[in-house]
Parts: sequence; C-alpha cells; structure tokens
Amino acid sequence: MLTDSGFWFVQLLNSLQLSMLLFLLSVGLTVIFGLMNFVNLAHGSLYALGALFGYSVAQATGNMWLAFLIAPICVMAVGALIYVLIIDRMRKAGPMKQVLVTFGLIFVFLDAQRYFWGTDQLGVTSGIPFAGSFELFGEIYPSYRLFIICVGLLVFAALYLLLEHTRLGAEVRAGVDDPETASCLGVNVERTFFVVFLIGSALAGLAGVVALPAFSAEAGMGVSILVPTLVVVVVGGLGSLKGAFAGSLLIGTTLTFGQVLFPSFASMLMYALLVAVLLIRPSGLFPARG
Amino acid sequence: MRNLINFRSLLAALTLGALLISWLNAGYFGMEILAEIAILALLAMSLDLLAGYTGLVSLGHAALFGCGAYAFAVFTAFWGWPPSLSMAAATLLTGLIALIVGSVVTRVQGIFFIMITLAIGEMGYELVFKTRALGGDDGLAGIPRLDLSVIGVDLNDPGVFALFLILLVVVCYLLLKRLLGSPYGAILIGLHDNAGRMRALGLPVQRYQTSIFAFSGAIAGFAGTLSAQHTMFISPQLLHWTTSGEVLVMGILGGLGTLIGPVIGAALITLLRHELSDLTDYWGLWLGLFLILVVMGGKNGVVGWLETGWNLIARRSGDRKSSDRSANDAAG
Repeated sequence: MLTDSGFWFVQLLNSLQLSMLLFLLSVGLTVIFGLMNFVNLAHGSLYALGALFGYSVAQATGNMWLAFLIAPICVMAVGALIYVLIIDRMRKAGPMKQVLVTFGLIFVFLDAQRYFWGTDQLGVTSGIPFAGSFELFGEIYPSYRLFIICVGLLVFAALYLLLEHTRLGAEVRAGVDDPETASCLGVNVERTFFVVFLIGSALAGLAGVVALPAFSAEAGMGVSILVPTLVVVVVGGLGSLKGAFAGSLLIGTTLTFGQVLFPSFASMLMYALLVAVLLIRPSGLFPARG
Repeated sequence: MRNLINFRSLLAALTLGALLISWLNAGYFGMEILAEIAILALLAMSLDLLAGYTGLVSLGHAALFGCGAYAFAVFTAFWGWPPSLSMAAATLLTGLIALIVGSVVTRVQGIFFIMITLAIGEMGYELVFKTRALGGDDGLAGIPRLDLSVIGVDLNDPGVFALFLILLVVVCYLLLKRLLGSPYGAILIGLHDNAGRMRALGLPVQRYQTSIFAFSGAIAGFAGTLSAQHTMFISPQLLHWTTSGEVLVMGILGGLGTLIGPVIGAALITLLRHELSDLTDYWGLWLGLFLILVVMGGKNGVVGWLETGWNLIARRSGDRKSSDRSANDAAG
C-alpha cells in the first residue's frame, strides 16, 4: 500500500482538500486579527452554522447550489449581528476581553445549534453536484472533493485580486499595516473592519456548507475545527492572505500525511509545528507587518 | 486600597462560612459537589496567580492538572507507592514539568502565549489519549485515597473528604495571600502591569515568569492528585484545553487577580451547572450569555460588583464624616 503511487496521489488530494477548507476558515480570521489585533474564537462556530444552514436549505429545496448561496449569506447576517451587538462595543476594551467575549459566544452558539438542529450528525444525500467519482492510478476518488479544492483556489484568486487591485483591498492593507496612519489619511478603518468581518463570516459559512456533503454536519464541529484554524493563522503569520494560504497547505498536509504515517500522533505533529514556529519565527511564515 | 483589601478578607471569610454551612447541611450528593468545588477552587486560584496577577493567560493549565492526576494514578495504582508519597511526588513532578515548559513558553507574549500554552497542553492531551498503557480514552480507575487512619480520620467518608478539601483550600488561600503580599508578589503584579518597565528596572522578567509558571503548575498538579482521589477515576478530558477554558471562566466570573474571586467563581459555576442542568438541557447557553455580560459589564466579575457596591456604601457613610478621605478610598 505504501509504495502504491495511486494511494499517495489520493492522499495528496485529501490533504489539498483539507487545506482548502482550512484556508476558507483561516483567511477571514487572520485578516480580522491583522486589522483589529483580536481573535474571534467564535469563528469556528460560524463554520458550523454554515453547514447547518446549508443542511436546512438543502432539505427544504433539494438544491445544493442554492444552499451554497444562501448559507453564507445567513452566516454573514449572524456575523453582522455579533459585530453590532458585541464586537463593536468591545472595540476599546483591549484584546484580552475581546477574546473572552468570543469565548462566551462559543458556548452560546453551541447550545443554540443543539437547540435548533439537535445533536445528531446531519448528512445531505441528494442533490449534491459532482456526486460521481473518477479513477486515478487505479484508485476511485469522489469528484466532489476536487470541487472543494477548486472552490478554495477560486476564493484565493478572488481575494488576491480584491486585496491587490481594488480600493477596498488597498484600505485593508493600509489598515493592517498601520491603522492610525491609515485613519489619518482618510481611510474609514471602522467601516473597513466591518466589511472584512462580514466577508470573513461569509467565507467561514461557505467553508461549512461546502464541507457538508463530504463530512456531514453536527453542532460540535465548530469547536473541533477551531484549534487547527488558529494554528494556521499563527503559523502563516497574522493578517496575511499569503500566510493563510501557505499555513493551510502546511497544516493540511501535516494532518493528512501524519494520519497516514503516524496515525497516533498526527495532531501532535501539528502542535509541535506550531511550537517550533512560535519559538523560531514568532511572527509566522509570511507576516503582513514587516 | 486598604479598605478594599479588608473587604476581600471579609469576602473570603464569608465564602468559607458559606462553604462550612453547606457542609453541615449537605447530604451525600452535596458532599460530592463540595469536594468538586474545593478542587476546582484550588485549580482556579493557581490559574489566578498566572492569569490574574502576572498577566500570563494560559490555556494549557488543565494539562498540568491532568499531569498531577495521572502521575498520582501511576504512582499508586501501578507502582504501589503510598498515597502520601505519591501526592508529594506527583506535585513535584508536575512542578518540574511546568518549570521546563515555562522556560520555553515565556519567550513569547500576549496572544502567542495563549497559543503556545494551548499547543503544548494539547500535545499532553494527545499523548495521554493515545497511550494505551495509561488507559487511553477509557481513562484509569482503581485509584486509592490518602490514608489518614493513624490520626483517626477516614477520608473514604464523603463528608470527611469534603471537609479535608475545604481545609486544604483555606491553607492554600492563606499561603498564597502571604506570597502575594511579599516583595515577590509585588514583582508579579508589576509584570502584569508593565513587563517592559520591569525589564528596564533590571528585573530578569523571563526568570520570574518561569518561576511563577512552575509554582502555579505545581499547585495545579496538587489539585490534580486530589481530583484523582475524589472521583477515583481519571480520563484524558482532564487535560483538554476546554477544561482550561472552563477554569479560566470561573476566574473571570469571580474576578481575576483577587484570589478569592476564583474560589467564588468555582463555587458559583459548579452549583449552577448542577442546578441548571436539572432545569434545562442548554445550560451552556446561559453560562455563555452570563460570561459575555460579565466581561462587557467592565467590572471585575462578582468581586468587582461587590466592591463597587461596598465603595458606594463606604462613600455614603463617609460623606457624613469627612467627604475628602472617602473619595480617595473610592478612587483607590
């Protein structure tokens, strides 16, 4: 098995697919982190919400494409609500208190999700696009997982263009680089942050609904994905798109191949990597601020 | 300020009184809850030394708690050491591990400190979870309790065991209060307020941070040995980062940096969990909302509210005497 090239190719695709999910999750988190210097621990809960909203839409309409569209919008609305009710009021409270508030949000979201969707694993079976599979080096691989990889790559390309070639992108980069100066130069940093928060929430929701057909949804999924996402953000470097992408690839690969080679210690490898990065290069691989 | 310190001692006495009164009235189940409160109070106080006083918020504290519990279990159940020796050895071992970990993690600050303690703690969790010899995800059972029959005390009686733990909390509180009142305590608070200035004053900042990390870890390990004796069963969940999070929440709700706050927080949360879980399946929702309100309220938890109320009363009665002095007290 270990010398079979098809097997390794499948693992490579698996690691890419996990990396792209991690990327969708971590990119919003890292830019919010870079702009505001605060970690939204409830980001994983938004991922779970995306999957659960997606499940409800898919159940109601039988159309997964509609779920891909509606679930991120719903999650974005929830993100807006959190922002207005809580985060905006905590702006001057210091990073520690902001972290603690979002820690409280994890509990609230977890039980709210249990209340509305129950505790069972919810899977979608019908109406999934690319439901078939294809053969590669003698291994059968589901096409849907390739679709996840494509979504990740497309989002990366779109965000790259947005950041490098639009006015909003320039404002975000300026805000990450030096919020005071940016604000003196007439950039509405507050508004920029709000927009970034909404985009980040929508992307977390998108990650959830895209993961739904492959992994099924449950209320606790947001907590278990949170830690790898935080690791990606720190390893990649705060506030940087390139860092989120590179960090996702690194962590996705470590987790997938670690699972194959050292089944007992895959996540330990990930934590060891984080500790090593923090000690050798505390600002991460591609920090946004030099 | 003097006013506030006295007020905190009063609060501590009241808390002890409440614990003792509930001990007098508790049935079998109540004794179990009291024991749980006492162990969590010890753990929360040790985290308060780090997070509240020194400003080092660790999400890996539960791993040290679990380390003490597992070391105690291995020493007693596997190697047949007497419980008293095992408790000392497990506490020492945890302190030693915390010393090594502390010398590494104190190299980074702020959110990075949170992340690195989280990562190292989770490594410990994974290690225990995957090690069959330690019972893996099944946990370990058959752990004995300390034998104090030479002085006529039977710790296998739940009431006696609960009282024994409450006594330990009192001793630990008094010792820590003494420590925090010493010059060493003043250094810790200085590190919290402005580590950069402390460094400029010529203080070896990292060495002090490492020392308190090790000391606080040893107390957490000690609490772990008690937890293993209380339930006589341990599982890897003890080491998980969400356990650290829960203990941190206890500190925040009670009031970090007050020493008595975490004790009150541990009691409140343990009681609420047992009471509310009978009434609702969604007690985490209420806990989360409560936590958000406390943090957004801007006061330092329960102790902060009580102190604000106390100051109002003090100012009002002071107005009649000398308005000048009481205003100073309120500001301090």
